[in-house]
Amino acid sequence: MSERKVAEIKNLIKNYGGKGFQTKVLKGIDLTIYETDFIAIMGPSGSGKTTLLNILSTIDKPSQGSVMLDGKEITGLNNKDLSRLRRDKIGFIFQDYNLLDTMTLQDNIALPLSLNGVSPKSCVERTNELAEMFGLAEELKKYPYQLSGGQKQRGATCRALITDPKIIFADEPTGALDSKSSKDLLECLRIVNENRQATIMMVTHDAFSASYAKDVYILSDGLIKCKISRGSERKEFYDRIIDVQTSMGR
Amino acid sequence: MSMMKLAYMNFKNSLKSYLSLIVSLAFTILIFLNFQNIVYSNSLDVLGERNKDNIIIIVQAITVVLICFMFFFIWYSTNVFLTKRKKEIGIYVFMGLTNQKIGKLYMIETTMIGFLALILGLGFGLALTWLFQMVLLAISDIAVKIEFQLSWQPIAVAACTYLAVYMIFVLKGYVNIVRSSVLNMVLATKKNEYVKQNSVILAFKSVLGVCVLGAGYFLAIKEGGQEVMGNVLAAVVLVIAGIYLLFGGVIPMVTQSLAKRKKFLYKKQRNLWVNNLIFRMKKNYRTYAIVCVLMLCSVTALATGVAMKNRYEGIVHFRSTYTYQLISNDADEKEKMDEVIERNSDIKYSTKIPILYLDGSLFKTAYKNNTYAILSWSDVKQAAEDAGLKLDIKEPKDDEIIDVSKMYLLSLYTEKSGIRVTINGKEYRQIDDTNEPYLGYLQEQISFYLVNDHEFERLCPLGTMSYTYNYKISDMDSFEQTKAKLDDLVKTKQENGEDIGRIAVDMRSNDIEWVKVLYTICIFMFLVFVLAGGSILFMKLYNDAFEEKERYQVLKKLGIDRKTLKKSIANELKFAYVGPLIVMTVSSWFSVHALAKMMSTELLSVNIISVLVIYAIFFVCYLLSVSVYQKNAGVKQ
Repeated sequence: MSERKVAEIKNLIKNYGGKGFQTKVLKGIDLTIYETDFIAIMGPSGSGKTTLLNILSTIDKPSQGSVMLDGKEITGLNNKDLSRLRRDKIGFIFQDYNLLDTMTLQDNIALPLSLNGVSPKSCVERTNELAEMFGLAEELKKYPYQLSGGQKQRGATCRALITDPKIIFADEPTGALDSKSSKDLLECLRIVNENRQATIMMVTHDAFSASYAKDVYILSDGLIKCKISRGSERKEFYDRIIDVQTSMGR
Repeated sequence: MSMMKLAYMNFKNSLKSYLSLIVSLAFTILIFLNFQNIVYSNSLDVLGERNKDNIIIIVQAITVVLICFMFFFIWYSTNVFLTKRKKEIGIYVFMGLTNQKIGKLYMIETTMIGFLALILGLGFGLALTWLFQMVLLAISDIAVKIEFQLSWQPIAVAACTYLAVYMIFVLKGYVNIVRSSVLNMVLATKKNEYVKQNSVILAFKSVLGVCVLGAGYFLAIKEGGQEVMGNVLAAVVLVIAGIYLLFGGVIPMVTQSLAKRKKFLYKKQRNLWVNNLIFRMKKNYRTYAIVCVLMLCSVTALATGVAMKNRYEGIVHFRSTYTYQLISNDADEKEKMDEVIERNSDIKYSTKIPILYLDGSLFKTAYKNNTYAILSWSDVKQAAEDAGLKLDIKEPKDDEIIDVSKMYLLSLYTEKSGIRVTINGKEYRQIDDTNEPYLGYLQEQISFYLVNDHEFERLCPLGTMSYTYNYKISDMDSFEQTKAKLDDLVKTKQENGEDIGRIAVDMRSNDIEWVKVLYTICIFMFLVFVLAGGSILFMKLYNDAFEEKERYQVLKKLGIDRKTLKKSIANELKFAYVGPLIVMTVSSWFSVHALAKMMSTELLSVNIISVLVIYAIFFVCYLLSVSVYQKNAGVKQ
């Protein structure tokens, strides 16, 4: 594990609703993510895992607490700065891929770079390199409607990686995939994490997906209830996650 | 909950998103009602029976155009609306409603929209009838006091026509829903405009489009005789078809090939907006084509109006060249005539022109007359000097001839070169034509040929000579008095067996006043077509923006800042407006050029001005569209 912090949250509280009918979703979370980490956040519905991801990825704002991203406090930033931060330092993988159906896979992957003013030549080279890595080289000219769910999600992962972000946030990335496609994608994420030193934070409710991470945090009622770290074997890690979930009554 | 109540709730809740449809429909009704009101109101009675009849004929012709326009407009707008609603009301399939019931729900909802538009259209239309007529007559330069009139006929005609057309498309929507599969209905908005189109088909469409459009342009400006009318009609059909093929072929082909060139695509925000354009093109090209055709109609309508006005002024000038014209066989009447006229009024100018009448059997021309009249060069030259008329023709040589004719409101004969006339076995080449009123009103009744003095002398023995004595007086108040005196003179001479006739032109007569009203109507039609074109584009983009909302939310999540997204939207919309404008600008030159030839008038300035006015109106529409699009797509803060 690297000692360089990519993200750090302290006493994070998030409330929804107005006075009198407030719902506390996150009740004081402390979490530090280091470079090359691959963490999974698990928890039942309503536990606050997506809210946590949204706040960390600057899409939502906390009610209280501090959120540091790449050494910078983000809670006070304006929309423009937050956009820039998302563009330059964060990569997103969504459950429903969110590829733009108006453009080919190649254009989708290249989009963040091309909008950042990177030269067209570099855009193409970088896109081809990632597509090769994710087994999508043959699919680049296709539109999203011509791709399978797994291909789309791998495409979305390429798009998330193309800007070399500091951290990748994946929100239930396997939620809409069959088991074969899920496995392929998770394998890709693992390789990216291990070979390209990418930092990944993944939200999932699926123990199998979580078992690909290095650390799993279980969230319940707005608090981190426990952290499970992976040993050597993924299968053994998976069993431990299931055990913890069972012991927590889930 | 009853179907009616459910439909009403839907209608009420979605009123905001129907707004553009309701406003557009109401606008159509408003225009239609105001034109109908011209027919039924008595504000034009002051122009006299003949003028009013002519105006009514024009309004009826415009009514046909407006009904066609209304038909296509409602067809288009209800189609856009149907696709949008299909998905929303398609949800009811899961609640166990049959397609028939969903169709019924759609019908009730759409009928409510239709009636609201009708009420608004009639309401605002009636409120504006007075203003409309006042502006109409003011621009037409006709001074009449207009009173507010409310008659039921125009309301009934406008309401019935609109409802008849509207209900056809409501029923069409119902049938469409009833025949839709469940999947089709739920996926209605996702069923997209498939991205890439086959490049071979596109290339074929492009080549065909360019050829068809080119053929249309060629026919529009081709000179000719009687076939000109056929050519013009064919040109209209070819240009419309060409525009459709151009937007369906060339533009997708160009944008698709641009998207392939990554060096171009991956710069600025092009990756976003060029791809968006391609994505929507299959569905949107018809809209661009419709808008382009509408604008072309608008420029042509305005040019027609201006040309008519020019001709009207020309004809008035033509007729008022001389106040009195006397035609006699006697070559020495001038002094007597001068004396009679000068008794009551000063002579502003006078001319004497000899005319040689030849029998039709001596002639071989395209048009067969009983008699032909010949003028000599020096007589016409002298008359032009005396009356201060232009003489921008060259003296014909021995084998040359010039056609001196009246000013036509509209002439389908545009072929001016290569005409040959044979007189008594000798062939003359027609080198020019003029409608300068050397012979004033008489020129409206007879066509003349102008030859040089030598030829005139040579032809003299073949026919009979006659002399016209033409006078313009300074004081029109003495018009009747002098006319009476001249009548006495003519009567006396006729009793003495002399062959003499008299023409008196009262320039205050208003028998072609209707042309001025036509001019104003053309201006209105120009504005109607431009606003219709603008509103169709606006409506289309307004609805597209809702469909784009999800996409822009994703882009925002990805960290694409608002500024970039706004720029991308502005570029995409710029293309939607500029595309039709460019094709319209080019096409309008040909249509206006063709019109200018038929009406023998200069219309280039009208063409330029009308195109600039359209640019200005569309620029405003563009700014509004960008603002509304950004708001609807959730990009605006």
